[in-house]
Amino acid sequence: MNPMTDLGLRFVRRPGPGGRAANLAALGATAIVALLVSFLIAGSLGLTHRSDRIGWRNTDDGEPKTAVGAVNEVHDMVAGEPVNRVDLAINNPKRDGELPPPPGLSHAPKPGEVFVSPELAKRWSEDLRTRYKLEQPTGIISDAGLSSPDELIVIRGVAKDSPGVAQSDHPRYLDTWRGNAMDSRMAMLLALVAFGIALVLFPLLSLVGQAAGVAAKRREHRLAALRLAGATRRQVLWLSAVEQAVLGFLGAIAGLIGYVVLSPLIARIPLGGGRWYLHDLTPSWWVTLIVLVAVPVLSVISALIGLGRVSITPLGVVRGQTRKSTSALRLVLLVIGPIMLAVLGTGGAVLPLVIGIGIAALAVRVVGPWAVQVIGKFLARTAKGPVVLLAGRRLADDPKGAFRPVAALVLSGFVTGFLALFMPYGLTQDGKDVSFQLYTNQGQTAVVAEDARKRLSEAGFKGEVTTGDQSVSISVSTTERERLRTVLYDVVPSQVPLTDAERDKQDAGVFMDMRLGVALLLGLVFVTGAASTAAGAVGTALDQAAPAKALRRSGVPLQVIERSARLAAVVPVVAVGLPVVGFGALCGLALSGGQVVTRGSSGVILLLGQVVVGVVLVAVAGAAGAPVLRKASAG
Amino acid sequence: MSFQRPHTTQPSPHAPQNQSQSQPFHPQHPQAQPFPGHPQQPNPQGIPHQGTVLTGRGLVKYYGDVVGLAGVDVTVQAGEALAVMGPSGNGKTTLLHVLAGILTPDQGEVWLGGERVDQLGDAARTVLRRRRLGFVFQDNQLLAELPADENVALPLMVDGVSRREAIGRARNMLAQVGLSAEVSRRPGELSGGQAQRVAIARALVGEPQAVFADEPTGALDAATGAQVIDLLVGAATHRGAAVVVVTHDDAVAARCHRVVRIVDGRVSER
Repeated sequence: MNPMTDLGLRFVRRPGPGGRAANLAALGATAIVALLVSFLIAGSLGLTHRSDRIGWRNTDDGEPKTAVGAVNEVHDMVAGEPVNRVDLAINNPKRDGELPPPPGLSHAPKPGEVFVSPELAKRWSEDLRTRYKLEQPTGIISDAGLSSPDELIVIRGVAKDSPGVAQSDHPRYLDTWRGNAMDSRMAMLLALVAFGIALVLFPLLSLVGQAAGVAAKRREHRLAALRLAGATRRQVLWLSAVEQAVLGFLGAIAGLIGYVVLSPLIARIPLGGGRWYLHDLTPSWWVTLIVLVAVPVLSVISALIGLGRVSITPLGVVRGQTRKSTSALRLVLLVIGPIMLAVLGTGGAVLPLVIGIGIAALAVRVVGPWAVQVIGKFLARTAKGPVVLLAGRRLADDPKGAFRPVAALVLSGFVTGFLALFMPYGLTQDGKDVSFQLYTNQGQTAVVAEDARKRLSEAGFKGEVTTGDQSVSISVSTTERERLRTVLYDVVPSQVPLTDAERDKQDAGVFMDMRLGVALLLGLVFVTGAASTAAGAVGTALDQAAPAKALRRSGVPLQVIERSARLAAVVPVVAVGLPVVGFGALCGLALSGGQVVTRGSSGVILLLGQVVVGVVLVAVAGAAGAPVLRKASAG
Repeated sequence: MSFQRPHTTQPSPHAPQNQSQSQPFHPQHPQAQPFPGHPQQPNPQGIPHQGTVLTGRGLVKYYGDVVGLAGVDVTVQAGEALAVMGPSGNGKTTLLHVLAGILTPDQGEVWLGGERVDQLGDAARTVLRRRRLGFVFQDNQLLAELPADENVALPLMVDGVSRREAIGRARNMLAQVGLSAEVSRRPGELSGGQAQRVAIARALVGEPQAVFADEPTGALDAATGAQVIDLLVGAATHRGAAVVVVTHDDAVAARCHRVVRIVDGRVSER
């Protein structure tokens, strides 16, 4: 074995004084990166797995003559819960024996046959017996045909000329059960994941850098000693790469284990219509391989880039003493994202929009250090006491280093600002829940109204039936809502009687997905931000250990050093983070063409939540760095 | 104006105490004759003599089972520079830390002026170190982010001195150590000797009663080291401060008034 490889492995096993804490911090941060990467990849794949099973339901890629089936989706309600009813007319164009069944069904449903999901089977009631004219469902849909174990769905076989699937009603035609079309809801969620990845990419890369940097700080003196012992720069870099690769690999394993352990909890997140099947979220062997390779490689690259910034000489590790000042030219980047989003607008394709948002997020990442430097210089110039002076000089001296740990947190401000004004609405439902609304052709309203009155009378309900231009409104005061619905079932063929509020509830699933997706996205960014800020605090504490020790010996209270470190951590978050919230809002407005899309108080709640979480995270970061600084500067 | 290396041909009277920092300084070589008039024992009341700035009596310090100090008696007079020598790991730095109130002895007493240091709490010792002592470390331990003047001004600002006054005093002190042109430079932009001069200015800017230096020339070449130790001893004793220098270097010790050797935690030679 290469002696440097051997030495690197030995250093991982025996990291030396203080090295264990640094290695653990690095390992923990890497593990969080691996966990989040696993979550993002496995979650995205989980969505496609779901879509593969249910995509046929809203595929429309066939011709009436050659299609294997015609589909019409109908919203139904059972015991106050929205149910998706798929009316399916089988068409066997080749007439070559038994047609393969749709996913999850034992056979292709014949007219009158009804397949239901296990959850709906549990709720099979008198009302459903009456509505579907069946004592029991024909069959239970297996996992292979369901989006989620919670899904409430009915697949009903109907004749080809039935209302809703007849050619004149323009149903969806599909050529195969396993086509390439994505389920629209899953496609929307995948687009959301793509936006999420664009937003968390830079925080994640920052976190990798932080993780590598923390371990590298403890390494620097050893590297200098090795140079003194005759090792070349290439050899000590190789040794560092070996150490970081081992730490990165261990972190990746820990992250994967963490993901597997947490996946039963993750599977409970009711995204995309209900809980997840665990197998949808289980990382495949190649996802595992990607994480196990990508995370250590990124860690090694980050560590080598970090060490590339310093000169490892036999006399020690010397940082560039006059760091290059950050240029105000960076501000130019700020305008590209918003302009791109304004030009594309909400009608733009997903990929360019993702790129536009990515560029805006990149601009925040690039402009952040410049802003930190400006603020640091201002603080140092106007400081009256040692705490502000120290914090200001630290920020001005190394704005990139100061911004790196809090970049994720500041970027979360961008996300919040963006979503505070651009969260698609539907979250506030204002539909009335007083009468069933049925929609029909102009000439049919009187017939439908008469039929409804007759059915109400026969069932013993008293109520008011009124007709509109193309609608019939049925208002009945009763506690037996489902029985009333059953009585009025199929008054208008292929249409279930629903109130406006119930229709809102049917649509609410998509918006619930968006709300959950946003919460998950912010959660991801916050977890990344917390880990990055904490790792940064540990790194800063290790950096400041020697001068802090000297200052403490000279009678400078530790509190002065700690307060300046805290201030140096808080200032970029507050002074850069708040304008970034505004920038995010500007991007949201640019995309929406100046409209505030978010309705109600959701945006305000998001902003307040962001401030609270931001403050808590900074406090956590301070807590992570303080004991390290106290220990490292003692004596 | 900068300080000069002490002369070797002059007798060694007490350096004058409480001189104004702007007054010219003419240090005398201390080695030619014993330091006059310093009592080796406290006066009958048990309180160190007025001329004695620093006293350690019967100092014992353990690190677990390892003996750091095994009963050390030492006194340092105002304006006197004491070199502490001895093999590595025999208690030199421990003695410096105990005398400076960084460590508390397991037995014995430490007096600074008329105040007993070893019985003070941690907070009081922190204030005492800040206000009445100065420190110079081997690697200068300046804050890399701060320019020279702010590094020197920092202890004053921590003590509540206004920024304007602190920076003014710091620049004055830097001028006295010959760095008036480097006040705005950061430690990384200074040579090793210049950085150590800044560290000396930082140690002296608060007008300390005693200055402690742990291998202050350890990272410097011989010529620069000689300049630095002359400056430290000259500037501190010129103000009447006591100086304790831990060193391995005979040349450094030769520039102090008196030398003690610590072997196995005891004073083996004065």
